[in-house]
Amino acid sequence: MSTREQQERIELLQGTLDLLILRTLQLGPLHGHAIAKAIEYRSDEVLQVEQGSLYPALHRLIRRRWISVQEGTSENNRRAKFYSLTAQGRRQLRVETSKWEKLAAAIAQILRPAGQEER
Amino acid sequence: MTRRKRMLQQLNDDIRDHIERETEDNLDRGMSPEEARYAALRKFGNVARVQEQTWEVWSVTWFEQLLQDVRYGARSLLRSPGLTIAAVLAIALGVGINAGIFSVLNGLALRLLPVPRAQELLSVYQILHFHGQGNRYIHNNEGYFSWSEYRDYRDHNQVFSGLAAYEPYMDATLAGSNARQLLGTAASCNYFEVLEEHPAAGRGFAAADCAASGASAVVVVSDSAWRSQFGADPGLIGRTIVLNRTPYTVIGIARPGFAGTEPVPSAFWIPLTMDEAMEPGQHRLANDNMSWLAMIGRTRPGVTMAEVRADLDVIAQRINQHFSGRTIALSIHAARFFSSPEEREYLIPVSSVILTAFALVLLIACANVSNLLLARASARQKEIALRVSLGAGRWRLVRQLLTESLLLSLAGGVLGSLVAFWSFEHLMHFVTSHLPADFPPLAINVAPDLRVLLYSLLLTLFTGIVFGLAPALQSTRPDLNSSMKGEGAGSGKRSGRFLLKLLVGSQVAVCMVLLLAAGLLLRGLYYAQTVDPGFEIKGVATTFLDLTRQGYDQTRATQFMQRFAEQIRGIPGVLDVAQAECAPLAHDFSAGHFTLPGHSDLILIEYNHVTPNYFALTGIPIVRGRGFTSAENHNATGVIVTESTAHRLWPNKDSLGQVLRDSSGHPYMVVGIAKDAQVSHLGESTSNYLYFPFGPEDNSRNFILVRYAAAYSNVAKGMRAAAQSIDPNISMDVTRLEDYLDVWRAPSRIVAGLSGTLGGLALLLCSIGLYGMVSYSVGRSMRDIGIRLALGANRKTVLRHVLGQAMRPVLIGAAAGVILSALVSRILSSMMFGIGAHDPLAFVAAPCFLLVVAALASFIPARRAMEVDPMVVLRCE
Repeated sequence: MSTREQQERIELLQGTLDLLILRTLQLGPLHGHAIAKAIEYRSDEVLQVEQGSLYPALHRLIRRRWISVQEGTSENNRRAKFYSLTAQGRRQLRVETSKWEKLAAAIAQILRPAGQEER
Repeated sequence: MTRRKRMLQQLNDDIRDHIERETEDNLDRGMSPEEARYAALRKFGNVARVQEQTWEVWSVTWFEQLLQDVRYGARSLLRSPGLTIAAVLAIALGVGINAGIFSVLNGLALRLLPVPRAQELLSVYQILHFHGQGNRYIHNNEGYFSWSEYRDYRDHNQVFSGLAAYEPYMDATLAGSNARQLLGTAASCNYFEVLEEHPAAGRGFAAADCAASGASAVVVVSDSAWRSQFGADPGLIGRTIVLNRTPYTVIGIARPGFAGTEPVPSAFWIPLTMDEAMEPGQHRLANDNMSWLAMIGRTRPGVTMAEVRADLDVIAQRINQHFSGRTIALSIHAARFFSSPEEREYLIPVSSVILTAFALVLLIACANVSNLLLARASARQKEIALRVSLGAGRWRLVRQLLTESLLLSLAGGVLGSLVAFWSFEHLMHFVTSHLPADFPPLAINVAPDLRVLLYSLLLTLFTGIVFGLAPALQSTRPDLNSSMKGEGAGSGKRSGRFLLKLLVGSQVAVCMVLLLAAGLLLRGLYYAQTVDPGFEIKGVATTFLDLTRQGYDQTRATQFMQRFAEQIRGIPGVLDVAQAECAPLAHDFSAGHFTLPGHSDLILIEYNHVTPNYFALTGIPIVRGRGFTSAENHNATGVIVTESTAHRLWPNKDSLGQVLRDSSGHPYMVVGIAKDAQVSHLGESTSNYLYFPFGPEDNSRNFILVRYAAAYSNVAKGMRAAAQSIDPNISMDVTRLEDYLDVWRAPSRIVAGLSGTLGGLALLLCSIGLYGMVSYSVGRSMRDIGIRLALGANRKTVLRHVLGQAMRPVLIGAAAGVILSALVSRILSSMMFGIGAHDPLAFVAAPCFLLVVAALASFIPARRAMEVDPMVVLRCE
């Protein structure tokens, strides 16, 4: 792994993993490994998820009844646990997304390039 | 399996699956199997940590912390077994006696009737308000109803599936070889149906039974009467028994657990229509203005209390329209023993006074335990300071200390409740054994039910929090620096010491109140034992005869009494025989309103009808004027008043020859003045009282007083034989006049016994608390004492200083207690027979006793202060 590559990968902010999981599951039920892959893939591999940390987050979301878990069969006929959004989780996703957008916009506002300010 | 367990099991499968998939992906990318697996594991991260973090998501932390606290608390309590045992015992004592007394009150006032589906039963009473003049005849209870009123409510209500009426406490003489008195009930025909109480053998009343007013009468007998009066004869049903000279056919025997709906068990039930036959001349059934029937109804399913009230009020309003001068207010409650408004009016304040007294002892026990814990918490200051400095939150520490005290209180509460199951039977036994012998047995169930258990549990939790909170808050506010360095040991925090003293002071105050109450009551008892009632109470036998009830008319009653008195005079040792409407102190009162000529105000005066020799026999002297002559009867106009009555009615005048009128306007003239005597209420001789001459009408219901100078048992036997020889079916009891005193003393004896016991317990707890406080504070100030001694202080001065410190909260507490008692002792005055509510002897003796005990309790540990060796103490530091 080159140094450049490492610099481009970003550690996740606390709590954002929950949001990413919810967003990923919006497309449909997935098993744990697929969620990790999807997050990495959809962020062009910029977001680095230590795959293990996915599981405490998944269980946290189950406990809050935002997602549910069912037994299912995966593509190559293997049994696996599939996680899917609940109605409550869908609502929560909307709330969290709008919160995140506000936060991102606010931070972007502060971090505007210096030249823009002088203009 | 819980959700948590299931999820955690799935986790392991999930992780395994995840790593396998990643490995496969890596193999697809061309890694060697070993490399692929290694890379997958690396990418996953620390499996053990992931598991741990996931468990944390699911862990119920507060519960695990609680378990931790309980384990830790139990360990630390077991480390100081002496303190733990003392605390548990104190709480057990406090909770136990409270649970015990509550279960008795529960049985008296809160338990529902012992019949099926008792929660549906309501008792109905009425309160009559008169606008100006009005009258009402009352038998047993003024809240009762007349026969016509009952039928009105029964036939026109929409809310009851059945409404029954009954006359409780009906006296009856059961004829037989040995005539006996029974208490029974006259009940409406639907009585057993409404109560859903079907006799164990035979049947209840049928409609045909209730048409009878004389002939072909029926009776249902209680189980205990069946056993005690009829030897559990299986063939009793269908046989005829005679009650008050009327024959009744036994049609049923009640279930063993059922003895009516009144606290005094009923021995039999007869139809209401038989009332006139049982008590001739009363004509209650025909009297529309007479309160004599209790009403009890079973609500239809789904009917609310508000609907019942609204519905019955409509009927009450209709009755109001017939009687212009008065209005009816109905009082409707769940049916219980003691459910009439006036009984509850009496029962509720009395039970709250009793509960408060018992709760005070619990409070002392709590203060005591609080004291012990506080002392221990100071000793644990270092441990707590260490935990705080390692980052324990204050709330977390308080919670842990509270868990400890709740553990203590639960142990004490459970032990105490077990003791209570034992103690309330003894309490009941104590109360009943101090009631006078002829007091009827009460059908009260004191066994613990859900309500009692709940009460004990709440009390236990409450005490745990009350005594635990102060020490917990106190000790988690440490000054880290000094505690850690061991400095705290010497000085002790000011607020901590203040709390200790406050606790000791309030214990002493409560203890003082209880001791003073006991002292006052004991003084009252002593007074009642030694009082001179103003008449000769010794050497008089008495019997009460209600001949009307035994089937006599007035002529026959007069003949009977004449022959009876003659025969008694013939018994050897009998000196004199007199008759009176009421015997002295017999709890039998007659009173009427009188007016003075020229005045319109009504004066309430108690009266008695007496034969001429009544005064000589009872030793009440006629101080002026004359006594009665045998020629005088109800037509005579001469009356005798007592001295204080004469003073009150005619101040500054010669009362002889004065006139007063009764409520019908009939005039009477004072012919004599008798000396005051406590003939009506013990300890009270100055209320208004007058004597009328005895007339032939009085013979059917009167007391016979017999002065004797021989063995009482022979006289009593002779009197019974004399009555039997005239009429073998007569039923009578002979007692001594002085036995009536017992009835008056019983309440104060019971209350004095209870408050004495409570006062003793309180004193014991209080001295333990004081002992603990002093030995603790001596232990904590060893260094101070050592320095003082090293600087040349006298050992006696040191002792005086320590004692002075200890006695200050005691003195303040005692003073507070005395003041409190002086304010509340009036409550007890009705039981103290004439000694004042501020009896000086009690108010001096009780505080002295308490202070001596307190001084002793603090002197023993304070002596240790004198034995301090300055060298040893100072080197230790």
